[in-house]
Amino acid sequence: MTVTDDVPVDNTARRSGDPLVELVDVQKWYGGLHVLQDINLTVGRGEVVVVIGPSGSGKSTLCRTINRLEPIDSGQILVDGAALPQEGKALARHRADVGMVFQSFNLFAHKTILENVTLGPIKVRKQSKAQAEDRARDLLDRVGVAHQADKYPAQLSGGQQQRVAIARALAMEPKVMLFDEPTSALDPEMIKEVLDVMVDLAERGMTMIVVTHEMGFARTAANRVVFMADGRILETADPHTFFTNPQSDRAKDFLGKILKH
Amino acid sequence: MLDNLDELFKGFGYTLFLFLVSAVASLVLGTVLVAMRVGPIGVLRAVGAIYVSVVRNTPLVLIFIFFHFAAPILGINFRWVQVHVGGFDFTSAFATAFVALSLYTACFVCEALRSGVNAVPMGQAEAARAIGLPFGGVMTQVVLPQAVRASVPPLASALIAMLKNTSVAGVFFLAEALATMRGLTNDYSSERIGIFACFAVGYILLVEIVSMISLGFERRWRIA
Amino acid sequence: MRWRKAFAATAATLVVAGSLAACGDAGNDKEGRDVKAKSDCDGKFEDGSRMAELADAGKINVGVKYDQPGLGFKGATDDVPSGFDIEIAKLLVADLCIDPADTSKVNWEETISDNREPFLESGKVDIVLASYSITEDRQKVVGQAGPYMVTGQQVLVKADSDITGIDDLKGKEVCSVTGSTSLENVKAKGAKGVGADSYSECAEKVLDGTYRAMSTDGTILAGLAAQNEGQLKVVGDQFSEENIGVGFSKDRPEMCEWIDGVLSKSFEDGSWADAFELTLGPSGVDTPEPPTLQPCK
Repeated sequence: MTVTDDVPVDNTARRSGDPLVELVDVQKWYGGLHVLQDINLTVGRGEVVVVIGPSGSGKSTLCRTINRLEPIDSGQILVDGAALPQEGKALARHRADVGMVFQSFNLFAHKTILENVTLGPIKVRKQSKAQAEDRARDLLDRVGVAHQADKYPAQLSGGQQQRVAIARALAMEPKVMLFDEPTSALDPEMIKEVLDVMVDLAERGMTMIVVTHEMGFARTAANRVVFMADGRILETADPHTFFTNPQSDRAKDFLGKILKH
Repeated sequence: MLDNLDELFKGFGYTLFLFLVSAVASLVLGTVLVAMRVGPIGVLRAVGAIYVSVVRNTPLVLIFIFFHFAAPILGINFRWVQVHVGGFDFTSAFATAFVALSLYTACFVCEALRSGVNAVPMGQAEAARAIGLPFGGVMTQVVLPQAVRASVPPLASALIAMLKNTSVAGVFFLAEALATMRGLTNDYSSERIGIFACFAVGYILLVEIVSMISLGFERRWRIA
Repeated sequence: MRWRKAFAATAATLVVAGSLAACGDAGNDKEGRDVKAKSDCDGKFEDGSRMAELADAGKINVGVKYDQPGLGFKGATDDVPSGFDIEIAKLLVADLCIDPADTSKVNWEETISDNREPFLESGKVDIVLASYSITEDRQKVVGQAGPYMVTGQQVLVKADSDITGIDDLKGKEVCSVTGSTSLENVKAKGAKGVGADSYSECAEKVLDGTYRAMSTDGTILAGLAAQNEGQLKVVGDQFSEENIGVGFSKDRPEMCEWIDGVLSKSFEDGSWADAFELTLGPSGVDTPEPPTLQPCK
């Protein structure tokens, strides 16, 4: 479970042609601002897609539309062949199948680490408390915070909290995991511990859509890189191609800026 | 004054009973109202908002007058309430005071909780939705428990105000503390100051107890 | 229709706030007696006495009730309140050579049961005529002269009620005014006293069936029965005796003899009986013999 920066994980083998998440002609406005324009994107089962782009490009919004934390104005979003339901019980069921990890962790502040991870399984999946706790402890162990199970979120470091948030999402046994800038709020020394968990997840075959500025992760773990600017997808390519030979001027400009440092 | 301690205790007995039952009812109703006000259903949001602005902006005395003198004409009355427990009579006057106080205080409970809900970061509700909790679950499991923690001081203020508002019932047929005090000051005009002091101390003690309980909750929940 | 009635009821209760004006013809809205100010005050009162001070100043504050029809009542549009208390007060005011009809000279201050003693002690009012029962405890803090009326407490019930008096109401809820002697008397008789803010509220609650009976001075009950003719009736014998007197400051004991003097004169010259006839007569109360004055302390 380590990230070796220069040797890409070869994920191509397990990428199947079977589409899991499909966005078709998605449009979204914030008032007069067209934040998502003509978005067409298909993510296959087991695929890891990294979405990058300058801030304000719409990449977080894109990520949040997939479990309808942001509604869209037109177009269609399908997960596992089913269209995204409107509000209500059906939408809640849909969200249970789509794991999400937020930039600011959003652990439930009044619940212990263990309760954070078991809440969904008990209340949504209707598992027994014992069953949910067993599974939660396994997951906490996997992300390396098992010994913190009885603490409250505020007592943990940012990196630990984010790993708990990943465990919380995994506890629902989601079909796909969304990561919305999962390391942007972290101190540099904690970024790696979170990325390690994510790489491990990728290696285990989880379908992942990751919005991030971590180019190292994109290079090593992604099957595909999607580049967005001004609400549009400008480029889609495998990481090697994208980083060595970007096509659009915006991508070249963007890479020039972030890779200089 | 010492000869009339039993009257004093009985008066505060009514005050305390009225406070307790109305506190429970207004907390329940206030929670329902806040769920309506922050919920996803537009009609309920509007109903909740209208209820709060109408009832909160009406003087409590007017609500009492309505239930005592107007509601009976509409066929709403509490004459059927006949509970007698150990010298205490919980009849029409008590029931009417309970209804008026609960309906009124529920608005303040709702707004106190709403301030708490607003204090809960958006991300908490989003995370709860993201793991597939429906609206009810998001509220009861994640938002309200945290909102209540943040609302303890304003909730305590609302309940303390209600404790003192029970005295309004004293001019509407209920022999609670204030009415008892007025009876005693009339009978023992020469001991007025002492009688005032005794009843003031009674109210101060009751309010102090409510404050302490609230402080206890604040301390207990500070860690989380 | 029902809503309109309910709205009207709420509005009426608010507007008149406990008065009986909303109930229509209160039977006491006639002009009071025209009492002329005396002009013999030079040297009539001993120098330094409160009476001399008041006569010199030409102004007086009189504490009265505003909410008891027949005794002391002031409608929203009245300048001067009306009722038996007021008529007696006019005699006292006139004796100080002050014109009772001149509201720039006579301030008719509203006093309620709670504030009569404080108002006398602080000097906010000079005399109180507010259906003010003479009691030993009150005489510890204020002066009381008279009585100018003796009343007794009775029971008011619905016209179709078979209750015949206070003895039928043991353990039952009986309405009276919070902080009044009447309420204490009701409890002493074994009924459960329920305190309202005014007698009209009690009457309302008897009419709507919440309480079977209300109780206070027979004169007040007669007034209420007259306003709700055919719906309410006064029943039973008087079960208490209240001596209604004039309150004054305990620091000015000289006022007692003066008040008693004016009262006796009114008993003799018929002005007392005229006042009674005019104010309480319309409610169907027969004019009694004038009461016997208690000696000044």
